[in-house]
Amino acid sequence: MNRSEMIRSRIEAAINITDLLVRDDSHLHAGHAGAQAGGGHFYVRVVSPDFTDLTPIARHRLIYQAMGDAMRNDCIHALSIDALTPEET
Amino acid sequence: MTDIQQSIREQVEGNPVILYMKGSPQFPQCGFSMRAAQALAGCGVEFAYVNVLEDEGIRQGIKDYGNWPTIPQLYVGGELLGGCDIIMEMYESGELKKAVQAATESAE
Repeated sequence: MNRSEMIRSRIEAAINITDLLVRDDSHLHAGHAGAQAGGGHFYVRVVSPDFTDLTPIARHRLIYQAMGDAMRNDCIHALSIDALTPEET
Repeated sequence: MTDIQQSIREQVEGNPVILYMKGSPQFPQCGFSMRAAQALAGCGVEFAYVNVLEDEGIRQGIKDYGNWPTIPQLYVGGELLGGCDIIMEMYESGELKKAVQAATESAE
């Protein structure tokens, strides 16, 4: 399982998803200081009814919690997040 | 509470607007920290910052303090406002300027 697949499976296991996009942007950041530990840069767009009535920070926390120990410098260095409800798309 | 957690508490409670970032606003060391610092500068208020690359204890400690796994992190009025994505969303909607101005004024 590559890291994009791992991110997808962890989010799917923790959050009710109506739409999910995972993109590996690591190639855009190759060589900069944060990439030295081997961590990748990823973008996720998560659409879920679970986000209804949650603040942006609470939505991001749900996603970070789903990622768990993968949010380490040598695995996922950076995760850009769009977290939307179905009504917001 | 450890000494590091106590230091962080004093920083976030002693500064109405404080950005934990990699590098400095003048010489940011990461694109996400750069964007966050530029958005704050665009709000026209003074803000404090901590370069987490200069202190490994703070670098890990700030992630534990707010239970937030990435840098940058923006604290306004003692509360975690968010990381780069939330900072940029709030900057573009005008909410960031309102939040940092309100926190700065109430601290005066």
